[in-house]
Amino acid sequence: MSLKRILVIAAELMLLLVMFLIIFGPMMSLFIWSIAIRWYWPATLPQEIGFDYWRQALGLQKSLAIGAVSILPAFFLSLTIAVIVVGLAMLIAIPAGYALAKYKIPFGSVIMFLFLMPNAFPQQPIFVNLLRIFTRIGLAGTIPGVILVHILVGMVFGVWITSATFRAIPTHLEEAARSVGASKTRAFFRITLPLAAPGILASAVFVFITSLDEFTGTFFIGLPFVNTLPMTLYSSSGYNMQFASVIAIILLIPSILFMTLIQRVLRAEYVGGMG
Amino acid sequence: MADRLSVRRKLRLPPYLLLLFPAVSFMLLMYAYPFVSSFTRSFVVSDGKLGFFNYAKTWDLYLKDIAFTFAVTVFSTSVTAVLAVLLAMYLRFRQSVVSGMLAGLYKLPIFIPFVVVAQMMTTFLAPHGLLNLTLARIGLINIDNPLELFNFWGLSFGFIWKMIPFSVLIIHGGFQMIDNSYIEAARSAGARRGKVITHILIPMSKSSIMVALVLVYSQIVGTFTLPYMLIGGKIPTTITVDIAHRVNYFRDFGVANTLGVCSYLLVLGTAIYYLRSSVKRVTEAESSGR
Repeated sequence: MSLKRILVIAAELMLLLVMFLIIFGPMMSLFIWSIAIRWYWPATLPQEIGFDYWRQALGLQKSLAIGAVSILPAFFLSLTIAVIVVGLAMLIAIPAGYALAKYKIPFGSVIMFLFLMPNAFPQQPIFVNLLRIFTRIGLAGTIPGVILVHILVGMVFGVWITSATFRAIPTHLEEAARSVGASKTRAFFRITLPLAAPGILASAVFVFITSLDEFTGTFFIGLPFVNTLPMTLYSSSGYNMQFASVIAIILLIPSILFMTLIQRVLRAEYVGGMG
Repeated sequence: MADRLSVRRKLRLPPYLLLLFPAVSFMLLMYAYPFVSSFTRSFVVSDGKLGFFNYAKTWDLYLKDIAFTFAVTVFSTSVTAVLAVLLAMYLRFRQSVVSGMLAGLYKLPIFIPFVVVAQMMTTFLAPHGLLNLTLARIGLINIDNPLELFNFWGLSFGFIWKMIPFSVLIIHGGFQMIDNSYIEAARSAGARRGKVITHILIPMSKSSIMVALVLVYSQIVGTFTLPYMLIGGKIPTTITVDIAHRVNYFRDFGVANTLGVCSYLLVLGTAIYYLRSSVKRVTEAESSGR
């Protein structure tokens, strides 16, 4: 083995180590905080560790410590909101995605612009004005208000991924079904929809994850009454690092799971604007 | 009879109108209306008068923060771009066990939400955080004088950490589209690796590099969570944090919207590029498919 080869391999291993530390360092920090019971400065690692905060957060153990709340209500609230958001968003996104993919629409590019704009411009000013409007009509600080905002945030993924999916399905399949007598609706439900199912599922999962993780929209519209998991994380991070870290890890798990599941079908343009 | 049928067909609305109606009206009410409002409301002062008062106030109070936002964004985007291109190049050219492991590893943070990244960075970069403790342990810094990172540098670190995986994904995708035969042809004609990179790889994947940069840039300008949890109300901070303060403490929608307009203006160029290139990609795919 030549010296050059050894040097290349050493450099590569160095790169791997550095990348590993950079990627997992901050995650490690979360994990250590989540199990730290006593951690006095300047010790490099906690003096006492245990899963007490996990047990308290998951409601298995009662505690009177400041900021010690069970996160289960927030977890179920987040889950319920995400499920409703997926249902409603997909209900209006699938027809729109189909229309954009299969029809020649006058001003079609203007409509596409409308669906892409939330990705291109900062969304916070939108939430600010929605707060103003929602306050007037009594939706601010309510769960329906938060659901509407989450649908808005998920809409880009809903419409964009479903329309890419429908576009990839050849039109002649549906035409063939129609030529043997199937109605347009029947051809859609029997031919196109089953073929599009994987793409629709992927976009539904995207919408689900965005809703689960959505912070800024909930912060403006939901405060102070709608406490989703990210809001609970935020409010405990001020005074109870351990709880905040436990919640952060609970939110981290679905995102990493989703990443490993979607690896194969991941297309770059899907990811724009995530997080 | 035939006449009546054709009249009915003419009067019938095209089916796409019905399909698009719910989604488009939702977007008009929930997106377009608030979007236009942020412009119109930026001229409305709290007592209902119209004028440039909000802009004058923003200029007085927040010019420094607008500059700070711009600086953080430009710095983080540039560093992300350089590192992502280098990493994508490594993954494109090197086939080894290590590069295979890195290809699996780098994608992990893509979907981690900003609120989790923010919590991670507040624990990791704190004066008593893991980074400072580790650096002290290996003797690089004195623990009594830890690195202060809840500022420009820590914020940039967080953004770069979150954005590199996503940029590598897009740029590496672009590199993969270039057929090996181009590269081999250039190599056999005597081009060195550096020349292959500057003359073939980068020019041929310019559009994917641009899309990555544009998305990273506009996402950083619009991110609220990370600066809010890492820097908060300290001076200087980002536009997004100022907007939240204006709304939460003063209910001052005028100045908040003026700041919002400023953030739109910061991303105007990249937003137009992104919208045009996305729609062009779709229409090109359509015309080639038909």
